[in-house]
Amino acid sequence: MIRTIRSELLKLRTMPGMWVVLLLAFPLTGLFIVVAFLTAGSHAIPHSTFAAVQRLSDRRLLLGAGFQSVTLLAPLLGVLCVTTEYRHKTITGTLLLTPKRSQVLGAKIVATALWAVGMSILTFVAVAAIGLPWDASMGGAIGSVLDQVGAVVPELLLATVLLSLFGLGFGTLVKNQIAGVLVTIGGTLILEGLIVFLVNLIFHYDLNWMPNEATAAFAGEIARGAGFGGDGGGNASLNFHLLPWWGGGLAMLGWGVVPLTLGYFTTFRKDVT
Amino acid sequence: MTAETPPRGLPIEFKGLTKHFGLIKAVENMTLTVSPGKVTGFLGPNGSGKTTSLRMLLGLVSPTSGSATIGGQLYHDLPNPSLQVGAVLEATSFHPSRKARAHVQTIARGCGKSDKDVDAALELVGLSGDAKRTVGGFSLGMRQRLELAGALIGDPAVLILDEPSNGLDPQGIAWLRDFMRFLAGEGKTVLVSSHLLSEMAQTIDEVVIVSQGQLRAQGTLDSITGNLTAGTIRVRTPETDRMKAVLTEAGLTFTSLASDQIAIQQVTPEQLGPLVARHQIVLYEMVHEGTDLESVFLSLTEGMGFGDQAAAS
Repeated sequence: MIRTIRSELLKLRTMPGMWVVLLLAFPLTGLFIVVAFLTAGSHAIPHSTFAAVQRLSDRRLLLGAGFQSVTLLAPLLGVLCVTTEYRHKTITGTLLLTPKRSQVLGAKIVATALWAVGMSILTFVAVAAIGLPWDASMGGAIGSVLDQVGAVVPELLLATVLLSLFGLGFGTLVKNQIAGVLVTIGGTLILEGLIVFLVNLIFHYDLNWMPNEATAAFAGEIARGAGFGGDGGGNASLNFHLLPWWGGGLAMLGWGVVPLTLGYFTTFRKDVT
Repeated sequence: MTAETPPRGLPIEFKGLTKHFGLIKAVENMTLTVSPGKVTGFLGPNGSGKTTSLRMLLGLVSPTSGSATIGGQLYHDLPNPSLQVGAVLEATSFHPSRKARAHVQTIARGCGKSDKDVDAALELVGLSGDAKRTVGGFSLGMRQRLELAGALIGDPAVLILDEPSNGLDPQGIAWLRDFMRFLAGEGKTVLVSSHLLSEMAQTIDEVVIVSQGQLRAQGTLDSITGNLTAGTIRVRTPETDRMKAVLTEAGLTFTSLASDQIAIQQVTPEQLGPLVARHQIVLYEMVHEGTDLESVFLSLTEGMGFGDQAAAS
């Protein structure tokens, strides 16, 4: 198994697409660092465009600025990990090397999760490189931001890993790389939000187990900072209720495990002709 | 296989191997054995079930019934199979942005071989100088060599090659031929599928002929070609007129190829030699062309052109 994981890791390391997705997390996090200071500015008295983070929620928003980036990008890591194999037919070589297909899938899960950890670390690097010096330059206390590491970092790390596994599962099901990438981006950015909004508006039902909503619930401390609601309160205008953090975590796990299981019994068990 | 070198290959066995894709019978009840220390040609027209059979052997396709084993074990039951079986299936299974060395490294990592082994494998197939190039810029022949490097990195006892000469230039084909002979000489099992009979005839010790998913013939090259004794003999003589008269008198059919060459059909050397000697006709050259592998192949797969073949592979 260790050998298969090493092989998978090298494969991912030698795929330019993976690096593009990973490195995109840096500028995207930078963008949300700007949002964090804009939010702090709106909370400042008197209001200003940008301000050092003072409130607890703003400090968490700054530290977890990568949350929005990983919500979009982490599933793509998983999608690319598996769909590339089918796009370039390298799945043949992969299965010749490791004929036990469950072992291949297991190695892909581990390799994708490790890349996801790398992605979340990169978002923290962006915060350390851009956010903290900027905050200090505006008179903020870096120590008070760092006090939130315990609340934010584990959640962001785990959320990134679970999101990447969701992408891996989805990629395993669809196999087609272009469809996988487009549906992941489109679904994350547009479709899911629209569905959740309309269902809530028309049927007054909270689709709070959908991937983004489950992620928001799981990463509650960051989500509260990012304005997702939290405390079970949700979006006031829609009266939207997020799941408790553990419910969000379970839902996210389900979004990874269910498509991975279906993908294993369909795509991975199929003949490679 | 040389007398000094003990066989170290593993036998390959198909037992009633069958694969149906819906209504299409790709492979039907195929039973055969491939022995170590020999190059065995797996021959058949396109779509005859060769690739499907090999993929079943390698665990990529599940048989509908029957089994295909290597050394008595299914491929997926072999511990670290890349150290026992090397396979070259298609020259298109590469990530185009990955460098050649990295491609082989991914295989090396998976079977526990070192970067030193990677370099040695690339050296063996003549790709050392291109190791840092991305595969996307490789020709088909270079990709075949790279695929071979990946197959050889584990120094396997069994080598399975599916149409390996596709895209190779004449030097590459000659190199591959020598290489297969070398491996067989080391006692390894070499199974090579092809529809290019002219190349195979010079390389293989044993032959398996398939068509429409069924085994048509198996045996040594001599035993297979010996089954059809009467073939075509081409002669070169300065006495073409006398030769034609003698052939006509003997009731043999012939074709004039050039001013000094005649092709005589449906005749054996044992029939023609004494006839020519009796009439004291001078011959510069006599070539027995009729009972070659191609003739046997065509006779066994006759009428199984593209239109008749199921989409078996």
